[in-house]
Amino acid sequence: MNRQPPKWADRFLQWYCRPELLEEIQGDVYELFYRTVNHYPRQAKFQFVWNVIRFFQWKNIKRSKSKINNTGVAMDMLRNILTVAIRNFVRQPGHSFLSIFGLSSGLICALLILTWIIHETSFDQFHSEPETIYKVMTHVKSDGNFQTYDLASSALDVSSIPEVTALASVSSGSRWPHELCFRPEEKTNECIYLNGVYANENLFSVFNFPILQGDRQPLKGAANIAISEKMAERLYGKANPIGKIIKIDDRHEVTIASVFKNVPINSSLQFDFALPYHILQKQWGINEAMMARNFFNIYIKTGSPISAEALTAKLNDTRVLTEEHKSQNVSYQAYPLLDWHLKSKFEGGKNTGGKIEYVFLFGIIGALVVLMAVINLVNMSTARASLRAKEIGIRKVTGALRTSIAGQFMIESFGLVLLSFIISITAVEWILPSFSSLLMQPIEFHLLQGNTLLYLIGFLFVVAILAGLYPALIMSSFQPVRILKNQLTTNASGNHGFRKSLLVIQLSVSLIIVIFSGVLYRQLEFITQKNLGFNRSNMIRLEPTFRLLKSYESFKNELLKNPNIISVGGSNDNPLNSAGANTGVTWPGKPDDLRVSIRTIGCNPDFTRTMGLKILEGNDFQAEKSDTLRTEVLVTQEAVKVMGLKNPIGEELKFGQIPCVIIGVINDFHTSSLHEALLPVILYRQHIQSISALYIAFQPGTTEQSMQAINNTYKSFEPDYTMKYWFQDETFNETYKTEIVASRLTILFTFISLSIAIIGVIGLATFTTIRKTKEIGIRRVFGASATQALMVLTKEFISVLIIAILVAVPLAWYTSDHWLQGFAYRTNLPWSIFTISVVGLIVLIMLVIVILGIKTIRTNPTQSLRTE
Amino acid sequence: MKGNYLGELEELVLLHVGILYPNAYGVAVMDEIEKQAGRSLNISAVHSVLTRLEEKGLLKSKMSDPTEERGGRRKRIFLLTAAGKRSLEEANELRNQLFSQIPKVALQFRLA
Repeated sequence: MNRQPPKWADRFLQWYCRPELLEEIQGDVYELFYRTVNHYPRQAKFQFVWNVIRFFQWKNIKRSKSKINNTGVAMDMLRNILTVAIRNFVRQPGHSFLSIFGLSSGLICALLILTWIIHETSFDQFHSEPETIYKVMTHVKSDGNFQTYDLASSALDVSSIPEVTALASVSSGSRWPHELCFRPEEKTNECIYLNGVYANENLFSVFNFPILQGDRQPLKGAANIAISEKMAERLYGKANPIGKIIKIDDRHEVTIASVFKNVPINSSLQFDFALPYHILQKQWGINEAMMARNFFNIYIKTGSPISAEALTAKLNDTRVLTEEHKSQNVSYQAYPLLDWHLKSKFEGGKNTGGKIEYVFLFGIIGALVVLMAVINLVNMSTARASLRAKEIGIRKVTGALRTSIAGQFMIESFGLVLLSFIISITAVEWILPSFSSLLMQPIEFHLLQGNTLLYLIGFLFVVAILAGLYPALIMSSFQPVRILKNQLTTNASGNHGFRKSLLVIQLSVSLIIVIFSGVLYRQLEFITQKNLGFNRSNMIRLEPTFRLLKSYESFKNELLKNPNIISVGGSNDNPLNSAGANTGVTWPGKPDDLRVSIRTIGCNPDFTRTMGLKILEGNDFQAEKSDTLRTEVLVTQEAVKVMGLKNPIGEELKFGQIPCVIIGVINDFHTSSLHEALLPVILYRQHIQSISALYIAFQPGTTEQSMQAINNTYKSFEPDYTMKYWFQDETFNETYKTEIVASRLTILFTFISLSIAIIGVIGLATFTTIRKTKEIGIRRVFGASATQALMVLTKEFISVLIIAILVAVPLAWYTSDHWLQGFAYRTNLPWSIFTISVVGLIVLIMLVIVILGIKTIRTNPTQSLRTE
Repeated sequence: MKGNYLGELEELVLLHVGILYPNAYGVAVMDEIEKQAGRSLNISAVHSVLTRLEEKGLLKSKMSDPTEERGGRRKRIFLLTAAGKRSLEEANELRNQLFSQIPKVALQFRLA
């Protein structure tokens, strides 16, 4: 057994102990050790370790060197570093501006994206215990395929599931009876259209929509209404609305029982008022049993923890899923409410993402832009290193440690990043309203609040360290002797290859973004200029009231008296965005197993003329019905082809059991977004009172006069209601909202990434020019022309450019192609965009190099060579 | 500032430094306290008290010659200063004075 104390403990003591105390402390523990080691060696060792640990106290621990330094000196040093930083900053305003500008624009871009992402991920988080709320989804299996709805039977009985504490049933929609006309107290002949929900009494207990005034459970009363703060103000101004009577549809009286706080914009459930189901039943004019057959949005709240899978299994149990529904191939799924906003796309009964894809896409773009901006800062500051070499040399000679030089550059980088952060946060707060209108979506969010501030500070440090670390390491490694002897040229500021590859990344990323936005633009242009087969310009869609439809003929004649109004027609579905397809159409000779989706649109005789559809065979609908027994229909060429009819005119079709007769063939037209293939269409004659929208076409360039005329005529027929209408062009744009937003965003990204890349080129070009000054001088002396001298400067960039193009073009091609695949109708991959982008980038870079290099080339070589 | 106030352990250590004159150092003080007062302390605790007393100016120290038993290391020998001596006297005096004021009756314990 060795008689020595444990080495590691001894070493530990030597490591931590203050040198002036070490001898006596070590002496004491050794003495105690030697005393016992002869009799109890094991105990002695244990005691030694224990004593070493007990001595590990603050007063015995070594202080770091900086602590030993007088703090006054450190303060002076800090002040000197700051002064030098500011002087450097001011001496080269162009460079400093570019550094700040590059980083700020990158950060603005990233922060805007961050704001958007935070907004998108904050949906429905404001409820209490939001993770315990589930939405019941319904999958209906038909023909081996699944249709998924975010609805479930309103008669759903979950009393057999002990985990479920409450069930909220909500019926929402965008048209009557969810969008209703409310009349302000003062002006009763005006209409304010507001959208609301019908719900059971649990709406305000399952969700966190705080009630500000009145009854806590307003929906318990059968004739109650709860309204939002905003609605209360619009209808009653400052007056207390509680207890006032509102007439729903000017018929059913309800009492305002409560006022709730405006629904936050990051709620997936939006409404301005809430009514009990009793009112809906009255409006629809149906009895209890029919009401129970409806499907509504069903939300369940669980009390004890249960997984979504287990809950889904319980929902599909026979006690919940009725036999009747089961026989219709219906199955339920409990879907977490928190997932709903970002993952709402279902295919084949499975979730296939949704908006989350855009969140990821923009997240990556944001990170890339920040990366590019940081790369820039690194390039810019290392490029300038040679100019500061002397300063570093002097500092080192006068005794600066490597760590303090590195620290100096870290502080400088930190200052620069902080400044950029302040600029960009201010800018973001300022831009946010226009950004949210660019996204066509309200965003109410501020960066400087709560946790985000902490994240931002963390982000700031990360960026500052990334941007400062490399320059700090490189510059602090300079050897003073060589610097002061002017021998810096070799390996002047770090690994040149490293910085070149950074530039490759920058150039590739911006090239990809430029090309992609070009493709996106081309496709959007293609969509907007594509002939849909019917007119959509200079046309409005008007939502008629029942009374207006009853006097349709006189309304139409009154309108047509105005020469600006071309035509009026009506249908029950807007051909711009028809939903749902009919598979129940049969025709003579239809094979039994064939299932074809056909869009069926009911319309009045004026519809085809108003829409500008062409009759290719047979006749248009006539004002008077000629065939009184069968419904007259017009079919498109595609429908004729699908049905395989040789002589379509006079053929008999059936919609379910209803007999129809083909009286004419019209041209093909698109009935939904161009993402989907064109469907066959059948127009059937419908009674005017079942029509849901009137279309009014007017002369181009007379929008203002025509709208005035239409509004006046409307008022004379329907004085109690405010006219509700939409321009067909705007509805069309709405269909491609995502694409339009994406194209606007890519324009923004293109601008920012291009400017960052150009700054990167400037950084490297500056450096090259400084390095090659002497070379150019010598070449000039030997008679090289200006162009030849320029070649020396551009040579550096040729390889960088070639690699960037080789990386970017295939990636851009792949992305664009993949994106275009999402459209059934698309432009060919436009190679011209690729060529233009690549050539444009080359020209731009050459221009930057020439502008920067021209001064050096023009300098008299004697001057550049004399400095030795 | 705690001023001249002397803690109980501090007083004990101070007394033992006096007793061990001129050989009072960490381990010796620790041993002596265990022998005389029957209290076993950890060496680090003794060190803390010794340094505190030195900071208060009640002790002074010097390094001894190297000794074999400590692997050739020197000891830090502690000595009472004039202030240390005075504060011991004051503590002693205060205690005696207070003790004498206790009424005799209070100290007469009988078997009840």
